Order: sequence, then structure tokens, then C-alpha cells
Amino acid sequence: RFRSKRRPPELYWSLQPVRDTHEKQIQLWKELILDYCKAQKVFLIGVVEDFPLFSNSAIDRTLSHEARETFLSAIVGEGSAEWLDKGHRKCLILWHRIQDWADIILHFVKENGLEDSLMTVEEIRSGTESHGTKLQGIDRTILMRTLKLLENKGKLALFKRTSADDEGVKFSV
Amino acid sequence: MRRRPGIGGLQTAAAARDQYRLLGENVAKLRTDMMKEQLATFKSQLEEFARKHKNDIRKNPAFRAQFHEMCAKVGVDPLASNKGFWAELLGIGDFYYELGVQIIEVCMLTRSLNGGLISLQELCNHLRQRRKKDREAVTEDDCLRAISKLKVLGSGFEVITIGKKKLVRSVPTELNKDHNQILELAQGQGFVTVEEVQRRLTWTSGRVIDALETLLEEGLAMIDNGNKDGKCQYWFPCVSSVYSFAGSDT
Repeated sequence: RFRSKRRPPELYWSLQPVRDTHEKQIQLWKELILDYCKAQKVFLIGVVEDFPLFSNSAIDRTLSHEARETFLSAIVGEGSAEWLDKGHRKCLILWHRIQDWADIILHFVKENGLEDSLMTVEEIRSGTESHGTKLQGIDRTILMRTLKLLENKGKLALFKRTSADDEGVKFSV
Repeated sequence: MRRRPGIGGLQTAAAARDQYRLLGENVAKLRTDMMKEQLATFKSQLEEFARKHKNDIRKNPAFRAQFHEMCAKVGVDPLASNKGFWAELLGIGDFYYELGVQIIEVCMLTRSLNGGLISLQELCNHLRQRRKKDREAVTEDDCLRAISKLKVLGSGFEVITIGKKKLVRSVPTELNKDHNQILELAQGQGFVTVEEVQRRLTWTSGRVIDALETLLEEGLAMIDNGNKDGKCQYWFPCVSSVYSFAGSDT
């Protein structure tokens, strides 16, 4: 169950007109969204879809579309999220940045003695080695980006044997 | 004394008056001396008391409050200076000094959320959370004393009473009567609407909106326009204690 040290009070469900208050509001929601996504391993937020954080039935409040976009854009602005479409309907949440994920993969490789091994991309995110680790269940888009980054750094090579195969990774850490 | 006629009699009367006056003065002096002596005795007994119960005074708020009362009765202010007998003996100066610093910290931490106005009750809650590990309880009385010391330092701290609540103001925002009345009204549900203020205080809507806008600008109020009835609610964190950020879990 998600437990947060901070919960936006009833007061912050409406976008605030006064600038200082508005900035504080954005700050609170940014932190809350990132904390929640990290705890629940949420990688994607659909702005028009139901999202537990964006409504509170107990007080009968829900964030307006404008508010959601404002808060998510703020997270995008600080580099911890990306809009996947021009219409700002889908937001990829990088509660770990790509560089952080890269470090996590390198650590994973070393921990499991996979320095010269071959693995499929799917194995990395759902294989037995990743069970209980941060990599378990990682979003595929994020994983591919991370692997590409590591490939550029010469830490691994991505390949595909046949079109039916899942992409493979040869580590050379 | 019987007055005797003639100049001799007059002289005697004058002498008699002089004697009475002297006697009067002596009696007055005697009384003052006695009082001074009583006071000195009382003070030394108080010091003895303080010495003996130093720990209780630090640890027990009720005891501490009574001790202050006793001191007040003899015109002793244990917080008068941070140096000197009292501060050294009791370390009480330190206690209030530390408390004052913590109060400043809490006010600064919560300022962006409540605009620099916090209810005394909530302030104490925050302080108690912070001081849990020290096991030194603080009461609202302690806070008020610490704040009065802060005032002396010219730190802009002020305690104001609105309706039933005491609020601690840590910013120089001046609130006028209109603002105070709205704050008092807000104590009911934590918020007000324009219509409600108009109705209950019989103001024009212009007057209401003016006051509310100032309160919004000062960061003392926040709007909530998500209510089904379509009426915009103006919430006041300082009186509603809707949230607590003292590390409490939800």
C-alpha cells in the first residue's frame, strides 16, 4: 500500500492564481507524483485516464486536465519525465533518469556475473535474475533507451537474430 | 496631647506634629524594611527551591508554569537575561532560547504553506513532534513565553487572537479588521465563500472580494473551486489545520 509522508491537502486541487502559492502547489504535486510512481513502479501516466493520485473520492475532488498537464509539464521541465506525444496525453515518468537506469543495469550485470553474457531484453526485465531487483518490470521503452545509451558507451551490443526473436544484449562490461 | 494655650502651646503643637511625622516616616521605613527583608527571604527561598527542583522545572510543564507564577509574584524574571544566576542555575534561559529557535524554524518551514500565520495549537504540535526524542514536553504557555522573548529581539513575531484561536504571525503582514473578521469566520469550517461572508457580515461584495484578494496575495488563503455547488471556497491553512507536514504519515 502506498504511504506518503505528504499528501496534497484539499486546498491544492484547484490551480492557484497567486504566483507564489502556485509555485508551491506545483512543487508539492511534482514530489507527490514522482514519489508515487517510484513506489508503485508506474512509468506511464495517461493524462485523460483515471489515475489514483489525481482524484480523491473522499473529498470529491479531481484534478482538472489543465492542472494535470501543468504538474506533469513541470516534471518534464526538470528532466524527470517526457511527453510521448505532441498532444501531451501520455507522459513517460523517469523517476530514475536514463543515466540512473544505466548505472542500475551495470550494477545488475556485475552482481550476477553477467559481464560477458547474452540476455534477451525481456529476460532483463522479467527473468529470474531481475526478480526482486529494481529492474523487475521496468518499462520496455525506458529499458531500450537505457540499453542504447550503454551501447553507445561500448558496454554492450544490441542484436536481433531473426525478426521473430526478442532483441538480445551482449554485455561487455 | 493636650494643647496648651499661648506661644508655648503652639510650639508644643508644632513639636508634636513633627514627632508624629517622624514617627510616620519611621513606620513607613519600618514597613519598607520589613517588606524588603521579606522579599529577600522569599527570593532566597525561591532560589533554594529552584536549585532543588531544577530538573522538574525543565521536564514538567505544569510545574514550570507554577514556578513562573511564583517568580512573577516576587517580581523575578528568570528569563531576564541569558547570563546571570537564573540562567546558570536553571538553564531555563537555554530552554526558551532553544524553543525560540525551533519556533522560528517551524514558522519558516510552514510559511510557504500558510502565508506566515500558524495557529498556536498547530505550532505546538509541530514542536512536540520535533522534541519527541528529548522527552521535554512543551505547552502553549511555553511557546508564548518563548515568542515574547523573540519579540524583544525584534524578530517580527506576534501572537494575535482571532475568535477562539491564538495565531502566531511570523511575517510583517498587517491584517486589518476586515481580514481578522474573515479569519474568524473561517474558523468554522476552515473556509469561507464570498456569498457567506457577504451574508454573515453584511458587507458589499466589493468589500468581501477586496479583503479576500489581499488574503490570497499574502499567501494566507487558497482557492478551491472544485465544489459541486460551483461556489469558490477560500481556505485558510492557519485556521483549518487541514494538513500536517510534521513527518506524519497519511
